[in-house]
Amino acid sequence: MAVRASFENSNEVGVFATLTNSYSLVAVGASENFYSVFEAELQDVIPICHCTIAGTRIVGRLTAGNRKGLLVPTSTTDQELQHLRNSIPDSVKIQRIEERLSALGNVICANDHVALVHPDLERETEEIIADVLGVEVFRQTIADNVLTGSYMALSNQGGIVHPRTSIQDQDELSSLLQVPLVAGSVNRGSPVVGAGMVVNDWMAVTGLDTTATELSVVESVFKLGEGMAPGAINTTNKETMVESFY
Amino acid sequence: MRIETCYFCSQPCYPSKGITFVRNDAKVFKFCRSKCHKNFKMKRNPRKLAWTKSFRRAHGKEMTVDSTLQFAQRRNIPVRYNRELVATTLSAMQRVSEIRARRERQFYKNRMRGNKATQMEADRKLVAENQHLLPPQYRDQVQEVLDVEAQKVDMELAEEEDLEVEEEERLKEEKSKMKTKRKQRLVRGEGVEEMDVDE
Repeated sequence: MAVRASFENSNEVGVFATLTNSYSLVAVGASENFYSVFEAELQDVIPICHCTIAGTRIVGRLTAGNRKGLLVPTSTTDQELQHLRNSIPDSVKIQRIEERLSALGNVICANDHVALVHPDLERETEEIIADVLGVEVFRQTIADNVLTGSYMALSNQGGIVHPRTSIQDQDELSSLLQVPLVAGSVNRGSPVVGAGMVVNDWMAVTGLDTTATELSVVESVFKLGEGMAPGAINTTNKETMVESFY
Repeated sequence: MRIETCYFCSQPCYPSKGITFVRNDAKVFKFCRSKCHKNFKMKRNPRKLAWTKSFRRAHGKEMTVDSTLQFAQRRNIPVRYNRELVATTLSAMQRVSEIRARRERQFYKNRMRGNKATQMEADRKLVAENQHLLPPQYRDQVQEVLDVEAQKVDMELAEEEDLEVEEEERLKEEKSKMKTKRKQRLVRGEGVEEMDVDE
């Protein structure tokens, strides 16, 4: 199910929210409409944690996570870290990373198996990512952009990359990730797909400006269409859903 | 709210105090007061300035390797809130600080051990080397007094090593010893005599 939402008149949903298969983070202080979009799909399935990171609301860009783990930047305060730990299931590892590049959402793009990271990330950080998120880590660029997290939206079913990504790059990335990729845009032509939307294995939220064409591309590549919704739980989504319940 | 320690002198930087400097590579430096900030701007090395904690640590003046020092640390992996855990932590904090205080006292004592003997040795050497300043007839007398003193100090040292249990008691004893020991002085032409000291 792909839906549209806006955070305080901003289309960049991926900036203010993080969505994974086992939890979701949203920034505090938005209108109830924004939260309702998430709650309509995720209530009673996964926890939706209202939080701030380093006192800011750009939680989507500062954090990176998947079903198994969550990484927060070094500027996260102790209270925020404790709040995250208390609201997110115990099976999810949470760790604060001492890394110069503190917008982890911009430099890390991960699903439950693979992570593409910024080429300048420190060696220790790379190890922590592999350890906490339980993924294979590759240093990559997307259409010559180092900010992999901004220019790519990824789930276990598929991924969208920057619209100017060449076919060779797409092939290379998709062979690394083992999922189908398409070059596309969100929010009426915005190339920052990572920041413009959030996605997990059964739901995607994009900005309010997203056109019907863009939304249909999102639904097809992430396999969110009819028959994939939570109602049809017995199909392809079953495994991830069951995993996230326990 | 976390109370960070000063980058330069390791004092805690309380809210509204000091200044924070963020370097180009995103490293954050907290300074507790302008003194530390100015010294940092002058590119001084805190390990070479005797008033900083890092100097004291680097020069063996404070405990550095101890299990009690590992509790106060920034942790990157949080643990879920648990009321009992908090309660036990609070009581443990008290106990740990007690233990640390005791170990620090012991460390100080070990560090200061032998200072008295060294000082006495130096004094004795000074007197021995400067015998020529005394009138010839008293030189032997002074030597005798020095020998007696040396014996006394040796005995005291032996006692000290036995008495390591209670520091307060030892301190009291030392004080009383100091009081009972009469001060002596050398008077030219009259030899060694007792000194009248107000006590």
